[in-house]
Amino acid sequence: MNDRAAIEGTYMPMGHTATAQAGSGGLTATEHRLANGLRVVLSEDHLTPVAAVCLWYDVGSRHEVKGRTGLAHLFEHLMFQGSAQVKGNGHFELVQGAGGSLNGTTSFERTNYFETMPAHQLELALWLEADRMGSLLTALDDESMENQRDVVKNERRQRYDNVPYGTAFEKLTALAYPEGHPYHHTPIGSMADLDAATLEDARAFFRTYYAPNNAVLSVVGDIDPEQTLAWIEKYFGSIPGHDGKPAPRDGTLPETIGEQLREVVEEEVPARALMAAYRLPHDGTRACDAADLALTVLGGGESSRLYNRLVRRDRTAVAAGFGLLRLAGAPSLGWLDVKTSGDVEVPVIESAIDEELARFADQGPTAEEMERAQAQLEREWLDRLGTVAGRADELCRYAVLFGDPQLALTAVQRVLEVTAEEVQEVAKARLRPDNRAVLVYEPIAPADPEAEGAEGTEDPESAATVEATDENEEAAK
Amino acid sequence: MTELATMDFHPQPQGGEPKPWAFPAPERGTLGNGLTVLRCHRPGQQVVAVEVLLDAPLDAEPAGLDGVATIMARAFSEGTDKHSAEDFAAELERAGATLDAHADHPGVRLSLEVPASRLAKGLGLVADALRAPAFADSEVERLVRNRLDEIPHELANPGRRAAKELSKELFPAGSRMSRPRQGTEETVTAIDAAAVRAFYERHVRPATATAVVVGDLTGIDLDALLGDTLGAWTGSAAEPRPVPPVTADDTGRVVVVDRPGAVQTQLLIGRIGPDRHDRVWPAQVLGTYCLGGTLTSRLDRVLREEKGYTYGVRAFGQVLRSAPDGTGAAMLAISGSVDTPNTGPALQDLWTVLRTLAAEGLTDAERDVAVQNLVGVAPLKYETAAAVASTLADQVEQHLPDDYQATLYRQLAATGTVEATAAAVSAFPVDRLVTVLVGDAAQIKGPVEALGIGEVSVVAAE
Repeated sequence: MNDRAAIEGTYMPMGHTATAQAGSGGLTATEHRLANGLRVVLSEDHLTPVAAVCLWYDVGSRHEVKGRTGLAHLFEHLMFQGSAQVKGNGHFELVQGAGGSLNGTTSFERTNYFETMPAHQLELALWLEADRMGSLLTALDDESMENQRDVVKNERRQRYDNVPYGTAFEKLTALAYPEGHPYHHTPIGSMADLDAATLEDARAFFRTYYAPNNAVLSVVGDIDPEQTLAWIEKYFGSIPGHDGKPAPRDGTLPETIGEQLREVVEEEVPARALMAAYRLPHDGTRACDAADLALTVLGGGESSRLYNRLVRRDRTAVAAGFGLLRLAGAPSLGWLDVKTSGDVEVPVIESAIDEELARFADQGPTAEEMERAQAQLEREWLDRLGTVAGRADELCRYAVLFGDPQLALTAVQRVLEVTAEEVQEVAKARLRPDNRAVLVYEPIAPADPEAEGAEGTEDPESAATVEATDENEEAAK
Repeated sequence: MTELATMDFHPQPQGGEPKPWAFPAPERGTLGNGLTVLRCHRPGQQVVAVEVLLDAPLDAEPAGLDGVATIMARAFSEGTDKHSAEDFAAELERAGATLDAHADHPGVRLSLEVPASRLAKGLGLVADALRAPAFADSEVERLVRNRLDEIPHELANPGRRAAKELSKELFPAGSRMSRPRQGTEETVTAIDAAAVRAFYERHVRPATATAVVVGDLTGIDLDALLGDTLGAWTGSAAEPRPVPPVTADDTGRVVVVDRPGAVQTQLLIGRIGPDRHDRVWPAQVLGTYCLGGTLTSRLDRVLREEKGYTYGVRAFGQVLRSAPDGTGAAMLAISGSVDTPNTGPALQDLWTVLRTLAAEGLTDAERDVAVQNLVGVAPLKYETAAAVASTLADQVEQHLPDDYQATLYRQLAATGTVEATAAAVSAFPVDRLVTVLVGDAAQIKGPVEALGIGEVSVVAAE
């Protein structure tokens, strides 16, 4: 998907100029490539003395093989266990000791690592990222492997297995993508596969995927671009690239599922629930933006059609909403989540939803609904691009998945250009009962020792991370 | 075991000269109707954050109506004299805005986020909501039912369940703090539109409210805008409310909330301690960070990075409610989850960490790294308008001066290792901690009893 042809020479600019595009809020980005294939994106913003470093490796759970689910994410944890010049937890200690914050996350399609630093500490973050990109295996040992295996298993328990509806996303993904498809399993992986992963698996994973020519580095904020590029060349320039990465398994699927798939889960949950995943256009297409608007009109916020129908008028649901999981290497997923009110039965909810979706497909959005949905998505983009870290992540995303970071700066414009007809078209083609996987929860009485632990709906967009983001953490308050 | 790398290595770089940064100083003023306004221009922040604080604390809720403040807060978004509930939500979303409202011990808070280009529209809607809320019978009835539906979901969430039990254990039975913030099934059922309106009329007025506006205000005539919106809200004057003192029983003990079959145990170990009015606060922040602020702090160094018992355990201090005279309090707590078979060993290690801290103190190196992090992250942490607005609103809510946060950074930098150690040890004394464990009692009760960290009792999850 990405053009990996090596461009010889250092700091080779890719021909884009730093001219602000309409709708980018005056933001610009420049592109460069080191001789070893590392692509670099820089964006200056001197309003606050901070700089974000973001590194996307083009590897995610879709690259995992049978019997080794969860390896990409477990490996991400190992990236924080030290490298040639960084001892133990030194990566965390040095960044935090410099007044920075950091984390790493793994999704279906990529693994990202990021640091936000006070501007004068930018060089340290670059040094740290280069050290582990080039020398992780000199430090990786059994002790780290065994310890992080346990940590990740506890991450799985905490976020999925020990909360109500916690494994819903995993179950729906498995339904929506067929057995053997690279997106059939989620990044967290199974307990059995986490247990089975070996140190040699981790080493082979690093040798295969962690190369400068399989990554994009973005640096955004209060930076001197020339100095920043010089540092990047100094620290990353000698890391050898290689072509050992196998082509990812094909994620191609027909545009629609063609039948309604269904699973009923009887579990100790607090209420009945109806969840569904619709197969939608790939990320990066205009049709995907149209689908985003359709889902927002139908199930975004508290003025959406489904919220008004189920929560306000029928009063059959506690909460009802649609989300979009954008995917580039396989069809995206439209994610419906409805928790029922009181004793309401699922078929009542389901027929109301079918009615609303059919009406929407038939009539399309009103002008006012389009205006609302576009305003909501615009604000979400302003939020994303309002921090240096958010901007760095989006630049990497468009560079890795679509080969052009500049697309990040015009994304909001593209959403605003979508017409009501396009929204209706995608709804008609995709938001149909024969294009969805349905998951129904029926509660059972508590304290049945044979029952699985009760499980919260994990936001499907949230990926597995190395450090828990803690709502209680309050830093210097 | 390991293999050689083929890259060129360079020594670790030293940082450059820090660039000056200070926590933003707001401009304070009062509108003609008595509403206090704090404003702060943050260049580049295109999404403006507005926080409105109402002096409607939970302890003002009438007996038997716990949750009425919550229902009122939610009902602000359910229609006004100009818009029905559905229209109000639609108009907000048409402005690209989000509006959240919630009730907590110090009062009710509305948080608006809206693109700067549509600030007038967003502020207008919030002002309508405060000035002329509809509180229609049918909408309040729906909110009550919705709230009742939420309660079982909260009880099934291990973190929420633990927090509920800790409040019940710590605070005197008669105190509002001992009971769930958003009410129980019994009290919520009793709430109707008349009760919501009575609470509103008694406690909501501009003279006791504050609005905080933060963002890129370039080209915005904020005075005119405020005058047309929040300035049009009227209400009577009011005496400041007395704030009841916060007391808690922190006798060391353990309560297991039984969840048979749970694969993990949720831990919440807490007591109450000083709030930001106390001189010890900076040292307490520092010491608490060294104990459990991040994965390289003492707790996670053992429980996560050595033993692998958990995805992460955190220690924190969170203000419950403050008073102008300094009689407020903060919740000091340690929370996280550990796998069921290792619950006993994990608690044993946790107590060992606390005992070692008390016996040997923090090191200078730990203190230095903590200060560098807590002070150094400030420019990152306050990059967005929402983060600045939220801290400014906290300061108002806690009766602190507007330059409190800026001063705190200087105090943190001046706090030594000895003070940080003393504060952490008195914040988390090993024999004065109430431990709540949400997990499988049949598996964890015995091992926990054997630790001798207090009497162990078991309660049902529901």
